[in-house]
Amino acid sequence: MRERVGVAVTGVVFGFSLSRIGFSSWDEVHRMFTFADLRLLFTFMSAVVFLTLAWIAIARLTGATWAPRNLHPGTLAGGALFGIGWALSGACPSIAMVQLGEGQLGAGLTLIGIVAGNWLYSVVHERWFRWSAASCVDA
Amino acid sequence: MQHWPWFVGGAALAGVCVFHWLTLRRMLAVSGRFTAMINRARFGPEKQVEMTAEELRAAMLAATREAFGPDAAPDAPPTSTKPEAKAGPTLTKQQSAGMHLLFLVALLCGGLVSAFLAGGPSFSGGLRGELFNGFFGGKASSAAVLLFGGVLVGFGTRMAAGCTSGHGLCGVSRFQVGSLLATMAFFGTGVLTSLLLRWLL
Repeated sequence: MRERVGVAVTGVVFGFSLSRIGFSSWDEVHRMFTFADLRLLFTFMSAVVFLTLAWIAIARLTGATWAPRNLHPGTLAGGALFGIGWALSGACPSIAMVQLGEGQLGAGLTLIGIVAGNWLYSVVHERWFRWSAASCVDA
Repeated sequence: MQHWPWFVGGAALAGVCVFHWLTLRRMLAVSGRFTAMINRARFGPEKQVEMTAEELRAAMLAATREAFGPDAAPDAPPTSTKPEAKAGPTLTKQQSAGMHLLFLVALLCGGLVSAFLAGGPSFSGGLRGELFNGFFGGKASSAAVLLFGGVLVGFGTRMAAGCTSGHGLCGVSRFQVGSLLATMAFFGTGVLTSLLLRWLL
């Protein structure tokens, strides 16, 4: 129950926030990437700063530790491909869902693409790559 | 709709990540949820094995010997004999596919609530925005761009094992080298692609 509530509440608040920030607007994302408007960039960077402070506080108060994220040959190449896709579709994985909720139905195609691309990589990886591709959901 | 100023947005995103960790004891990572759901679709439900640290150690020892011969692993007792040592990351149980789906539907609801409070939602066939529709005016061309872009997003985030939330927010803020590299990579190609679009179209 606690898990279900946690998942649902974070999902709704995250989706709402992304929408209000403007991350779900293709135009806003484009203006971020072309540095025409720095608001989204500042939003992102300030979130990272706030989070760093929060993790430090949580570690101090609870003694929590976190498993390090793994670095493997796909990190750079995968990131690079994702960036091209983000600039074209205006969506990172969560944004496609938010756009659908806002009634931007074209995001349905982005979502189909994301599922297909994820599936495609899992097949490609098994066939040609050797490194462990553990996902961040494990961290 | 009036967008939030940067510090409000930054605080909201950070708050969501912290709340996610406090309630679920795991980092916010959206592309990982897609990955887990697709693994589930391809391979069926994962076996959930419940064992103590000692049982796990014995099983690993047996597997090592099976793979590399009986002399491969020493018989010595574990270095730490403290029961349930407190240090180190705990093994968290994998979330079910239903939980991943619930998160994605909740994201959609968040967008819906936002649109509803702004007097909507209004429906549009493609995406909204002068720039997007100016660049890719036709229905066919905008559909192609969204589908192709989506494939790159899915492929790339799985290859990099993370996206804007897992690497960009939760990884960079914990000074993870891989996350920093991935974030620099996706931001770099995002900038290049957007500049190229503006230049070409």
